[in-house]
Amino acid sequence: MNCENIRDRLPECLAGRLGESARERLIEHLEGCSGCRGELAHLGIVWRGLEALKLEAEPDLAMKERFQATLAAFEAGLEQGRLAAVALPGPSRQVPRWAWQLAAGLAVLAIGLIAGRGLAPRPSVTPEIAQLQGQVESLHQLVALSLMQQQQSPASRIEGVSYAYSMTQPDPQVEEALLYAAGHDSNVNVRLSAVDALDKYAADPNVRRALAATLAAQDSPLAQVALIDLVVKSKDRDCAPALRRLASRPEADEAVRQRAQWAIDQLGIGVSR
Amino acid sequence: MRQVRDGEVNRLEVLFDRHQRALLHYFLHLTGNRAASEDLVQEAFFRVLKYRRSYQTENTFRAWLFQIGRNAYLDHLGRRKNEVAWAAEAPEAASPDAAPDRLMEEKQETALLRQALAELPPEKREVLVMSRFLDLKYEEIAAALQCEVGTVKVRVYRALHELGDRFFALRGEPLS
Repeated sequence: MNCENIRDRLPECLAGRLGESARERLIEHLEGCSGCRGELAHLGIVWRGLEALKLEAEPDLAMKERFQATLAAFEAGLEQGRLAAVALPGPSRQVPRWAWQLAAGLAVLAIGLIAGRGLAPRPSVTPEIAQLQGQVESLHQLVALSLMQQQQSPASRIEGVSYAYSMTQPDPQVEEALLYAAGHDSNVNVRLSAVDALDKYAADPNVRRALAATLAAQDSPLAQVALIDLVVKSKDRDCAPALRRLASRPEADEAVRQRAQWAIDQLGIGVSR
Repeated sequence: MRQVRDGEVNRLEVLFDRHQRALLHYFLHLTGNRAASEDLVQEAFFRVLKYRRSYQTENTFRAWLFQIGRNAYLDHLGRRKNEVAWAAEAPEAASPDAAPDRLMEEKQETALLRQALAELPPEKREVLVMSRFLDLKYEEIAAALQCEVGTVKVRVYRALHELGDRFFALRGEPLS
């Protein structure tokens, strides 16, 4: 073995990771090469000195709790996708107590109204029940908007997005909050959830315009890919300029550039109009 | 990780418990910032969830996790180009029973080495952090950096050699 080959193995020797035969070859070389012996001695000083720079920092409990919240939100999203149906999420400690009290009150009111109408034949949806449904929908909107505020924790904001997703009727305020979250939320997980929830609003021309602007300004590769997927799913050709810019931007993430090019091909917008 | 990939995502909690410390240290060595490092740990594990289906079993989970973590760090760096990427805040360690003058000398040497490490180009510092501080095998480093094992050997040696050059120069005794 020449000196160059030997020197490449010196860090492994210092770390005690060399196998027996490699170690023997190294020792044999060192016995006859003062240059490599000197190199090993100098590197040894540095290698041992680095021991003092090892960190002792321990992860704290908050890290685990944050991860558990993310995992729970992710599992809830998977379950929601599996059911492929709009469903009200179960009670959670992140939802304000007053919201559940209001929901319980409305439920009691509904039972009272139905019981009080007696057994006479009635249309399937009475004005009272329609009104009640509207109130429950308003409750969803209220909870969604409340939880999506920036002063809430990321887990709560994701839950807010989940409430927004469960609404049966599009709502301009919720739509606006989702667009803001998709483009500007400080947590990329919330951004991703908001992009998923915007799926049902993607037919709205205003949302399409906003999505194009969000895609252009987005700095998270993960959120960029999610937005591109949404654009393709909703066959949104208005995003063509933003996609072309992304596909050709050298500083963009490689995966994003490839996804943008894929979207351009999928939408058939390869040639500038 | 196979179970996570196949749909049992809650099993990731076990892997989080096992690897969060090493990943936190990796980011702390690169950023010197505790809050940013904790965020990066969360981001890395979220990406593991998101890309769980792309996990290939030929590499260890640890190697794949560090590959994902590294990409998260590069994204973070891209967003914060003007911030200091390395803050030399590693703990100061010394033998508790050393004499005061020896203690002072050790502290000075450690400070010089910390400075030399901080001045090392980021890609060299990273490979040393992985090899020296995180005890990653060369195969795992190769998977994380997406290069050959032979390349890792050369890079670790060159990084250590350059660190030595800088350290001895700071001590007033240049090597080469």
